[in-house]
Amino acid sequence: MTQIETQGTQQMTDSQAPAVEVRNLAKHYGDFVALQNVNVSIGAGEYFVLLGPSGGGKTTLLRTIGGFQKPTHGEVLLHGRSVGHLPPDKRPTSMVFQAYALFPHMSVEQNVGYGLKVAGLPRAQVAEKVAAALEQVGLTPFAARRPHELSGGQQQRVQLARAIVLDRDILLLDEPLAALDAQLRKDMCLELKHLQEKVGITFIHVTHNQEEAMTVADRIALIANGELVEFGRARDIYRAPEKTFTASFVGENNVLKGRVAEAAGSEIIVDVAGSRLQVDKRGLAVSDGQEVTLSIRSECVALDRVNGAETPADGFSITGAYDESVYLGLTTSHLVHLPDGTEMVSREIADSDERLPEAGSRVRLSWKPSDIRLHVE
Amino acid sequence: MNDYDNPWLHRLKWAYLLFVVLTLMTPVLYVMYVSFNANGFGANEYVFTLEWYGLIFSDELLIGALRWTLMLAVVVTVITVPMALLAAKHYKSAGNKIFPVFLLLAPLFVPPDILGSALLVSFKNLNIAFIWLGDQLGTAMFDGWFRLSFLTATIGLIIYTIPYSFVVILITMGRYRPEQTEAARACGANGWRAFWDIEFPQIRAGVFSACAFTVILVFNEYTRTSLLKGGFDTFTTVLISQMLNTGMSPQSYAMSAMVSFVAIAVIGSIILFTMIRAESLSRVARAKAAPVGS
Amino acid sequence: MAVQSTETVGGARPVDRTTPPWRERLVPWVFRAPLIFMVIFFALPMAMTVVFSVFERTMFWMEPGFTLFSYENFFFSARLTNFLNSMKYSLISVAICFVFGFPIAVFVRKSIPQVAQHRVVLLFILPFMVSEIIRVFALRPVLQRNGLVNTTLMDLGIIDEPITALLYTHTGVVIGEVLSFLPFIVFSGFLAMEAVPKYIFEVCDDLGVGPWRRFKDVILPLAAPGIFAGSVFIFVNGLGVALLPNILGGAGAVNAGLIATQAITALDFPLAMAVSAIMMATLMTLLWIGHRLFDLTKILTPLS
Repeated sequence: MTQIETQGTQQMTDSQAPAVEVRNLAKHYGDFVALQNVNVSIGAGEYFVLLGPSGGGKTTLLRTIGGFQKPTHGEVLLHGRSVGHLPPDKRPTSMVFQAYALFPHMSVEQNVGYGLKVAGLPRAQVAEKVAAALEQVGLTPFAARRPHELSGGQQQRVQLARAIVLDRDILLLDEPLAALDAQLRKDMCLELKHLQEKVGITFIHVTHNQEEAMTVADRIALIANGELVEFGRARDIYRAPEKTFTASFVGENNVLKGRVAEAAGSEIIVDVAGSRLQVDKRGLAVSDGQEVTLSIRSECVALDRVNGAETPADGFSITGAYDESVYLGLTTSHLVHLPDGTEMVSREIADSDERLPEAGSRVRLSWKPSDIRLHVE
Repeated sequence: MNDYDNPWLHRLKWAYLLFVVLTLMTPVLYVMYVSFNANGFGANEYVFTLEWYGLIFSDELLIGALRWTLMLAVVVTVITVPMALLAAKHYKSAGNKIFPVFLLLAPLFVPPDILGSALLVSFKNLNIAFIWLGDQLGTAMFDGWFRLSFLTATIGLIIYTIPYSFVVILITMGRYRPEQTEAARACGANGWRAFWDIEFPQIRAGVFSACAFTVILVFNEYTRTSLLKGGFDTFTTVLISQMLNTGMSPQSYAMSAMVSFVAIAVIGSIILFTMIRAESLSRVARAKAAPVGS
Repeated sequence: MAVQSTETVGGARPVDRTTPPWRERLVPWVFRAPLIFMVIFFALPMAMTVVFSVFERTMFWMEPGFTLFSYENFFFSARLTNFLNSMKYSLISVAICFVFGFPIAVFVRKSIPQVAQHRVVLLFILPFMVSEIIRVFALRPVLQRNGLVNTTLMDLGIIDEPITALLYTHTGVVIGEVLSFLPFIVFSGFLAMEAVPKYIFEVCDDLGVGPWRRFKDVILPLAAPGIFAGSVFIFVNGLGVALLPNILGGAGAVNAGLIATQAITALDFPLAMAVSAIMMATLMTLLWIGHRLFDLTKILTPLS
C-alpha cells in the first residue's frame, strides 16, 4: 500500500502513531457532563467497540472523534495529528449511523457514490468503485433501488458501502444494528467482522448490546456515566473484569458486597453475608475491614441441596434459600437469596429433569477457586 | 375512520366540512360569477361573456397597477423566502427558541392597520432622521432612503409574509432527518454542499409552497401596501379606489377572478404534488411494514 | 487531488483548506440576519409607538414632547365605547369561529388518514386566494336587503320580511369576521391537535368516555395552547382590521384599526400611535396570560 506521509494516512504498518488517540477528553452540555477525562488509544486496523448503557457517553465519544461535536476539553488525535479544529468532512473518518441516514431522494448507487462525487472523481471511476463496494456488501442487484424500497438490513449495508467506498482508514459505526431484529443483528455482526478483516481499516463501533460487542470486537472499552470504566480484549473483559461496574454490566455476574476479614497473604478472606469467602488478592491493595466486592459468573456457580447436615465452610461456597428457577431454553437460571437478602444466580445447561428444590429450602452455591474475582472499585 | 364508526355520520361530517369551505368560498365564487356577466355587477340579467377578460389589458390603470404588484410580489418573495429559510435553519439549531419564534410569528398577531400605521410613522421618522443626518454630514446621500416608496412597501410586506413562509418551511423541515446532513458531512461534503445536495431537495416542496404563498399574499394585500407604498398603485389599491368611487369596472372583476383562478391552480398543484409525495410515503410505510430481512 | 484520490479519497484530504476564522465567525450572523431585520423593522417600530404616542401633535406631523393628550383623546371620548364594543363583538366572533371551526380540526385529525390530513386543511386556504378586501366587499350583495341570503330565505318561505340587520350593523361585522377568520381556528386547531395523539380516542372509547367528556377532559386541556393562540389571533384581528367595520358595519361599528387609520387620514399621528400602543399592550397582555396559563411554547412542539 502506498504511503502518503504528509496526509496522516499512515496505514496499519505504522506502529508509532495509533489510528485514534483521545487525551483527557471532556464534553459538557451546560451543567451536564456527558464525558470526562477519557483517555484511549486505538491502533490501526483494530476493531474497537465502545460498549455501555444508554446515555453513558459512548455515542458522544464517537461523535467527537468523527467531528460532529467539539470537545469541551482535551483533544482527539488521528494518526498522531490533532484534529480538534476540523469539521467531519476534513477528517480521515467515515461514519455509519443508526438509521435514517440514507439520502431518500437518491438511489442506492447515488447514495454510495455521493462521497466520491463530492471528492470530484471522474464519473467512470465513481461507477467502478461503487460497483465494487456494492459487491462487497452483497447489494449489487439493488443498485437502482431507492432507500425506502430496501429492508432495514439492506439499508444499513448501503450505509456501510457508502462509508467504505471512500477508502478512509477509520470507520465509525454508531449503533449500526440497533434498529434490526435479533436474528438479523447476529448475521450482520459476523458480516461486519469479516468486512473489517477484509478491508483492514480501523472500525470503532458503538453498541449497548454485549453480545454484539463480543462478536465483533478485538478490544472493548466500557463507558458509563461519562467515564471510560475499563478497556481490554473482549475475552478479558468478560472473564477477568477489573472493576465492579464491568462485572455487573458484562456477562451475568453475581456481584457480592463484603468486608475484608483477613488481608494478609496472596489469598484474602472476605466476609459476605456471614460466610467467609476466599479470593485471590491479585496484588490489589486491601486492608482489614475494607468494603470490597466479589464477582462470580453465574455459569460458574454450582447448585447443591443441603440435606440435613451442614457442610463445613471451605471458603468457596455459600448457603442461601432457594427462590425459583427461570427456564431460558439453552440454560436454566436458579435464583437464590443469601441471608442478607443479596440475590445470586446459578446458571446451568438446561434439560435436567431432576426435581427442583422447594422454594425456601436451603441450598449451597459453590465454585472453583479461580472463578471468583476481587474488585476494590 | 374507525371500523365501527357510523359511515353515514362520517359522511355527514365530511359534508359539513365541505359546506364550510363552500360558504367561505362564496365571495370568491361570486366574483367569478360576476366576471362572466356581460352586464357586469348588480345587473338583473345574466349574459355569459368572456368579453371582460379580453378587455383586462385595455385598462391602462389596471395594467400599470398589475406591473407594480408583480414587481412587488417578486421582490418580496425573493427576499422573504430565503430569509424564512435562514430563520428556520437558525431556529432548528438555536438554544433559546422562544426569542426567534416570538419575533418571527408575532407579525401574524398584529392587525394590518396597526402594523401599517406603526411602520408608516417609523418610516416617516427614519426619513426625517436620515435627512438630518445628511445635513449634519453635508451630504444629500441619505435623503429619501425611507421616504414612502417601493422600498418601504417591500419592508412592510416582508414583515407581513415572513411568518407564513417560516411556518411552511419549518413544517417541511420537520420531516427531514438531520442524520442525513451528518452522513453527507461524513462523506466529505462541507456544510453548504450538504445543504444543497441533501437537505434542499427534500424541503423543496416547502420552499416552493412558501414562494407561492408569499406571491399570493402580496398580491392580495391591501391595508399594509396602501399605507406604506409610495406614489404607485397596486392591484388592490386600484380596486378599492374604484369601489369607493365609481364602483369596480367589469374588467376588475375579471382581473380578480383571474387572479383567484391562477391562485387556485397553484394551490391545486401543490395539493397534487403532496398527493404524489404522500403516495411515495405510503410506499415507504408499506416497505417498513414488511418483515425485515436481508 | 484527483491523482491521489485513486489511492485514498478520504484519508488524503488536504488539511490546510479550512475556512478562515473570520468567515467561520460570520456564518452564525448570516443565520441571525432575519432576526436582526425583524428587530429593526418590526419590534422597534412596534415599541416606538409608545414613544410617539406621547409626542405633541402639529399641523401635519408631530414633534417630540410629552403629553397624554392622545390617550385622553382615546379614553375620554366615544372611541373608548366603540373600542369596548368592538371587543365584545370580537369575542362573539371568536366563540362562533371556535364552535364551527374547531370540530373540523378534531374531525380531520381523528377520522382522516394521516397522509390526507394536510390536503384537507389546505382546502381552507382556498378563500385566501382572493384578496380579503374583495371578499368582504362581495359580502355586501350577499347580505344586503335584496341580497342572496334574504331572497333565498324569502323564496323558501322561512321569512316574510327581508332581514335588514345583516348589513351595516354589528351583526354584519361579526359575519364578516367569522367568514374571514374561521380558517385560522381550523389551522391552529389542527396544529394544536398534534398534541392529542390518535390513540387517545381509542383509549377513551375503551374506557367508555363519551364525546363530550372526552372533549372537556382530554382534548381541551391538551389542545389548549393552540386553541388559545388561534383565539387571540381572531380576537386581535377583530379589533384591528379596519375594513370589516368600514365596509360591513354601521354607526358605532368602529374598532381600533379603524380609529388608527382614521387618525392617520386626519394627520393625527400621535393618536394613531396611541391606539397602536394600546393594541400592542392588549396583545401582549393576552399572550402573557396565555403563556402563564398554558405555556404557549407547547404550540411549537410540532414545529421542532
